[in-house]
Amino acid sequence: MDRGRGNPRVWALALAVGIVLADSSIVVLALPDIYRDLDTSVFGVTWVLVSFNLVMALAAVPAAMAARRVGPGRAAAVGLAIFAGAGLACGVSEHLSTLLIARSVQALGGALAVTAALELLPATVGSERRATVVWATAGATGAALGPAVGGILTQLVSWQSIFLIQVPIALAAAVPILAVARDEMSTRVIERELRPTGRPHLWANVALAMVSAAIAAALFLLVLLLIEGWRLSPIGAAIVVSMMPLAAVVGSRLSGWVGDPRARAAAGAILLAGGLGGLALLPKAEVALTLPPQVLIGVGLSLVLSALTETALAGRDPQAIHGGWTISARHAGVVIGLLALTPVFTHDIAVQQKQAINAGTAVILDSPIDPLLKLDLAKKISEHLEGEDGKVPNLGHVLEPLPDDEGERSEVVQLRNELQDQLDRGATHAFSPSFGIAALIALLALIPIGLARRIDL
Amino acid sequence: MTRARALVVGALVFSLALVGVYLAAGGASYTPEKSRNPCEPRPWHETSGGLEGLAEEFTLSALDGAACRLGVTREQLARALATKENRERFSTRFHIDDEKLAKAIRAGLLRAIDDAEEHGRLNGIVAAPLRAVAEHVPLEEGIELVQDAKKFLNGESFLSGIGDALEELLP
Repeated sequence: MDRGRGNPRVWALALAVGIVLADSSIVVLALPDIYRDLDTSVFGVTWVLVSFNLVMALAAVPAAMAARRVGPGRAAAVGLAIFAGAGLACGVSEHLSTLLIARSVQALGGALAVTAALELLPATVGSERRATVVWATAGATGAALGPAVGGILTQLVSWQSIFLIQVPIALAAAVPILAVARDEMSTRVIERELRPTGRPHLWANVALAMVSAAIAAALFLLVLLLIEGWRLSPIGAAIVVSMMPLAAVVGSRLSGWVGDPRARAAAGAILLAGGLGGLALLPKAEVALTLPPQVLIGVGLSLVLSALTETALAGRDPQAIHGGWTISARHAGVVIGLLALTPVFTHDIAVQQKQAINAGTAVILDSPIDPLLKLDLAKKISEHLEGEDGKVPNLGHVLEPLPDDEGERSEVVQLRNELQDQLDRGATHAFSPSFGIAALIALLALIPIGLARRIDL
Repeated sequence: MTRARALVVGALVFSLALVGVYLAAGGASYTPEKSRNPCEPRPWHETSGGLEGLAEEFTLSALDGAACRLGVTREQLARALATKENRERFSTRFHIDDEKLAKAIRAGLLRAIDDAEEHGRLNGIVAAPLRAVAEHVPLEEGIELVQDAKKFLNGESFLSGIGDALEELLP
């Protein structure tokens, strides 16, 4: 049997893991569109991400146990079918509540497929070590590519297409696995059930949860800043955040250069904290300034996720259960990160909104334009703000159409630039405390990474 | 140095360098301008002069004076006075009734007259009758005068005939 890259079963399993773990982050760039289409709040739309990650966190270990009980082939095939069916339901949802329910069911199917894949991979690729590498790489690739793919689909087609396109992909991945399901022998399953399950690697999983919280914050907040704060299109934002997966490729090369997983984990957490610190201290609202922090975050996440996953799985048996613990820890981290930071930045957006509006009004009042025009602009700003409750304001167009007179036009253009500058400052600064907290969480992950060195290994 | 140590040290150096460069470039102070305290004296800008320039500075001064009396910012008050609906929302939010607002508007107009006089932009002969008007102006008219100080300063509605004289007396 071909146990290399030519084996369609390896590709099918990698695809299954990639597509499920991409789903954790694929909707990030679609959130602003979902937010508008379903007429919900920032907190409500956060649950489109939270629901999936929460169910994954809760279901991963039980799903791994179920996979071992019914047979990993059958579990993976059933999991992918559930994932595809729920994806279809997500794609046709017209209300936030149905979307959240479908996302939760999707996560159940996903948890079953991902943990079963880890159980199937050693027999398919020939060794547990190789299986871990394929599994972790597929998951990291999916998670890193997710936002960019989701952004492109959102702008070119619609946010619903993100879910609808998963249906044929998940079913295609299930086809080669069906043969395994048919071949499974009940005796082998029973034999696996009888093997004892060792305790999970506590500190590696705690560290995984903490860095996942920081990574989720980095992706979620950066996308919101780009789309809602700086008014980029989803494709524009997708291109910008592609810097992270590109940098992650560099990080994966570094992983091969340094063997010690604890050093890689520590370096990854430090880079993650540095990148998030950079985003917290952006000196201007310019896309180019987000690139250096993204490089550090991309390299950091690649180093720390692979190192901690390897540490959590090293020498532990059965792999599916321990893989389930890592999935659980990562997704729990995402949930904690989102739930902890959402109230912080929604509050900060509201505060900055008020401050930016006052600063914008001050710019208008102090400008050399006609006093009556000033008051008319103040009125337009007030009217515009009626529909902007809780959102980062965009007041640039209240000055349109521009006056015909050249002198007046240049005054109004200058006023518009100053007004835009105040709004950009407000939008950018609204995210700073949340990025700062995420950076602190990444730094604090060094504690369990250090403890893992002394106690668990 | 081992590769493992080099990796950790490299991560530290890159992270600190990024944070340091962004801090040095003003990352910690990239925030919207804070609203000025309206109770503090307001510098009068050099304007093109004449009634137009005086009216512009007068309006800002009057807004400052009224906002100071109400304990709100000048910007909040300017938006509140833009429409009737805004004013109602403003009154509910800050618990300010019409009487309180009228007193504040009068205080604002008086401060603007004082400021204009102090900055040599208004002659004492003109300031006295303007003060008399400002002290008793009803709310709606007071708001109109703050918004369009030219009317007040040339006496269109209250001091008919004084407008031309004022143009003459302006420094």
